[in-house]
Amino acid sequence: MSRKVLRTTALAGLVGVLGLAACTPGSGGTAAPSQPAPNASVTTDAASLGNVTLTVWDQEVRGGQEKQMSTLISQFQQAYPNIKIERVSRSFDDLTKTLRLALSGKDAPDVVQANNTRSQMGAFVTAGELVNLDPWAKAYGWDQRYPESVRAVSSYSTDGTTFGSGSLFGLPQVGEVVGVFYSRSKLAKLGIQPPTTWAEFDAALATAKDKGEVPLVLGNLEKWPAGHVFGVVQGRYVPAPEIRALGFGQPGGDWTSAENVKAAQTLVDWVDAGYFNSGFNGQDYDPAWQGFTKGEGVFLIAGSWLQADLSAAMKDDVGFMLPPPSEAGGTAVTTGGTGLPFAITSKAENKDAAAAYINFITSPDAMKVLAENGNLPVVETSQQTAPDALGKDVYAAFDAVSRADGLVPYLDWATPTMGDTLGATLQDLLAKKVSPADALATLQKDYAEFTSK
Amino acid sequence: MSSGTGSTTRRAGPPGEPRRVGYLFVLPAFAVYAAFALYPLLKAVYLSLWHWDGLTLATWAGLSNYADVLGDERLRGAFAHALVLMVFFAVLPLLVGLLLAAVLHRAKVRGLPFFRTVVFLPQVVAMVVIAVAWRRIYAPDGSLNSLLGAVGLDSWARGWLGDYTFALPAVGVVGTWLESGLVTVLLLAGMSRIPTELYEAARLDGAGPVREFLSVTLPSVRAEIAVALTLTVIAALKTFDLIYMTTSGGPGYSTTVPSYEVYRQAFEVGQVGLASTIGVVLTVIIFAISFVITRIGDRGGD
Amino acid sequence: MRVSGSERLANYAILMAFAVFALYPLVGIVAAALQPDTQAPGGLANFGQAWEIGRFGSYLRASALVSVFVVAVSTVLSILAGFAFGTMRFRGSEALFYVMLIGIMVPAEAIVVPLFFDLRALGLTDTFWALALPQVAQSVAFGTFWLRAFFRSSNRSIIEAARLDGASTWRILWQVLVPLSRPALVTLVVLTFMWTWNEFLIPLVMVPTNESLRTAPLGLGFFSGQYTQGFSLLAAGAVIVAVPVVVLYLFLQRHFIAGMLEGAVRD
Repeated sequence: MSRKVLRTTALAGLVGVLGLAACTPGSGGTAAPSQPAPNASVTTDAASLGNVTLTVWDQEVRGGQEKQMSTLISQFQQAYPNIKIERVSRSFDDLTKTLRLALSGKDAPDVVQANNTRSQMGAFVTAGELVNLDPWAKAYGWDQRYPESVRAVSSYSTDGTTFGSGSLFGLPQVGEVVGVFYSRSKLAKLGIQPPTTWAEFDAALATAKDKGEVPLVLGNLEKWPAGHVFGVVQGRYVPAPEIRALGFGQPGGDWTSAENVKAAQTLVDWVDAGYFNSGFNGQDYDPAWQGFTKGEGVFLIAGSWLQADLSAAMKDDVGFMLPPPSEAGGTAVTTGGTGLPFAITSKAENKDAAAAYINFITSPDAMKVLAENGNLPVVETSQQTAPDALGKDVYAAFDAVSRADGLVPYLDWATPTMGDTLGATLQDLLAKKVSPADALATLQKDYAEFTSK
Repeated sequence: MSSGTGSTTRRAGPPGEPRRVGYLFVLPAFAVYAAFALYPLLKAVYLSLWHWDGLTLATWAGLSNYADVLGDERLRGAFAHALVLMVFFAVLPLLVGLLLAAVLHRAKVRGLPFFRTVVFLPQVVAMVVIAVAWRRIYAPDGSLNSLLGAVGLDSWARGWLGDYTFALPAVGVVGTWLESGLVTVLLLAGMSRIPTELYEAARLDGAGPVREFLSVTLPSVRAEIAVALTLTVIAALKTFDLIYMTTSGGPGYSTTVPSYEVYRQAFEVGQVGLASTIGVVLTVIIFAISFVITRIGDRGGD
Repeated sequence: MRVSGSERLANYAILMAFAVFALYPLVGIVAAALQPDTQAPGGLANFGQAWEIGRFGSYLRASALVSVFVVAVSTVLSILAGFAFGTMRFRGSEALFYVMLIGIMVPAEAIVVPLFFDLRALGLTDTFWALALPQVAQSVAFGTFWLRAFFRSSNRSIIEAARLDGASTWRILWQVLVPLSRPALVTLVVLTFMWTWNEFLIPLVMVPTNESLRTAPLGLGFFSGQYTQGFSLLAAGAVIVAVPVVVLYLFLQRHFIAGMLEGAVRD
């Protein structure tokens, strides 16, 4: 039988391929025409738009984020009963894995949270799948309320090649700052103060280790969490402009610089000293912070997005601080900026309604709702009252680092493949599969291949 | 794949009388099959000859995607990992299955139906559910580490799915767990068909349990072994959901497999041509393995 | 065969050990599903909570719809094709059959990429058809193979007798052969149901946005990423997804085992 199968298959295959050979994949063309500037006649009167259904994809699944989102959506529904919101929320990882698929499909959602990265927002802009928001930015005054620095990280040139300037393609709700969460009771027990210099931080880690505590909590199964730890350590050694060049994928940066080597080496030293919980590469992100709330660990290097969850679980016991500045009295440099921006897809049928929704969830009132539910509003932060002690810490940290211009981009923003490369390389580095020099050479290769294009 | 029913399908002379109406009966099934399985397979071959991001116009690639599959360290790694998984999904279950089935066959123990129900159960549970269960077992604070701690092997505890040495074997053990029951039940069925006279004859020759196993049991279940290997080897190559739900190919790229790379390249990275190439290569490997194993099984049977 | 008491004891020990190994992960997840947790009250109430938060009602509905459709359509088509291949001779029937046999081995991973892009071009992604028809195609390949073998081995004298009575081919199939082949059909139905219910890749790719078509395993996959407050409800969700097939298996295990051992390479 088998020979016959083979012959038949071969024949059928040949016929099929010949039949197909007539057309080039992609020539049927779902690729949308690239951004002729949308007509200027946008309307901001959402009530006048008639009956619209908006499908919205977000990744606001954690405690406080979930709450603010559902609150804002129900308020929006009340204000504009003619616009029906169909919300789909999934985790950051699942959003990353499925968004490309979804945007190219027939029933693409209308509004999506697209990561600022070149692998996501950049690629979607290039493919013409996202809408240039400039007209609405003007109409709604986003260009007034959102500072240039915030808008820049959601901006691309209309062909998607330049990141950090050009047209606005998304609008974020929350601010983000990566820093150090700590357990007050643990520090008290260890007899140490929240460290204000790196020397104190090193000493605190060593003390915690000596007294049998887990100094640093990390859950890195998802690959991306270690990037945040590295970002913090990088801020210790590498000047901010240098990190920005690397993070934005602009020419001129160098992953293999002596400072970056020092940063990578520090991570390895921490591993060698046993500062991380054992098995961190095999630990899930969420169980890791849950462990932290249950007293397993002294410090947790993570972002402000955990604020609501940590505060709910630990109450007054948890504090948040910026990483220490590289030299005493200097300014702290750390990863952060904005949460994932909300963007409008080209396939959205009613783009005005979509823009109205984005405007609603980023309005001054919305910022208040964000704050009340334990989130960090991206703008007008100082006008909000923090909901609790941890919130106060986070707001103060964000305010301080923003004013000192110490926020640097997420490193995976740099190139379409950097998220993947960085995650895998840092896992390699932390598992001591590669030396710091080799790890950085890998990152440099990814970065240089992209920037030299 | 067909060995189990092979005996009934091979008959002297073709059945039935010539009837044109046969085409009509076959048509609906064949149409659906051709449109949604056969044509996509051919299209995959075609797409594998292009560089295409799935959005814009493709450019001709010739065989360069195939060169990439062979040349790219990571993709080669994916196929190597699949090879390792075959050991865990096919070879180990076969050994376990042979041992268990031989034991059970010799001593007609009670409770065999219950045992069969239990060990076959993993086969019917959705892989996502299995992944959720095992992910928990392998977590740093999961039950595997607790077990090691309880027997004083604390130093062995680790985050299994994030460990470069152990992540792939850890995923493999899920396969061993999954397939052992299937293989055991399959072999038991085969052994129950061995005529008892063969054993009596062997005993008269003074054969002990081991020789009895090697000279009577093993040759008699050759066909079943072939079926078991075909089933389990192919299962080892189709581990997309398991990898997607447990490691996403990590740590690093140490557990990535071809079926996962197909999805990743096509739908995350946007290299549709390369993804199709991996899919085509995977299909060819599956065909080749089934072919070889069926051949070996047939030869044993004749 | 007679074996000594100690060997018997050892046999039971091996048996027990293996049964525990096979059951442990599954029992473990059921046990975890009953634990109290941040949002889990504990006990059976966890299932209600997971059902609510994870929207499993909608997922089970989608799974049920797709499974019933795929089972019904592919079974009918397989009966027709298996009947023709098994009892009739026509030019090229062998070749056609072998072409269909290929479908048993083709991995979904290979065809899902071109399928997605072709169906997208036709505007069919995110529809019930994109979810169901590829699975019908795969099931029909197996079903045809399975029933052809059965019809081929069925007693020809019955067919001859029916024909002498003047029954048409159509009636012979449905009123004589199909009732006779009930065991084979039940096996085919339960296997097709299980494969469709458990399928992950095709729903993941073919229905990227349509929530109402999200099937149970996919729903569980997303829930496991999305639900960040502990393991109990995730475990409860996993149990909910697994239960329908497991229950069916407990009642019809003979068919599951026979089918998977004798024919199946699909998964």
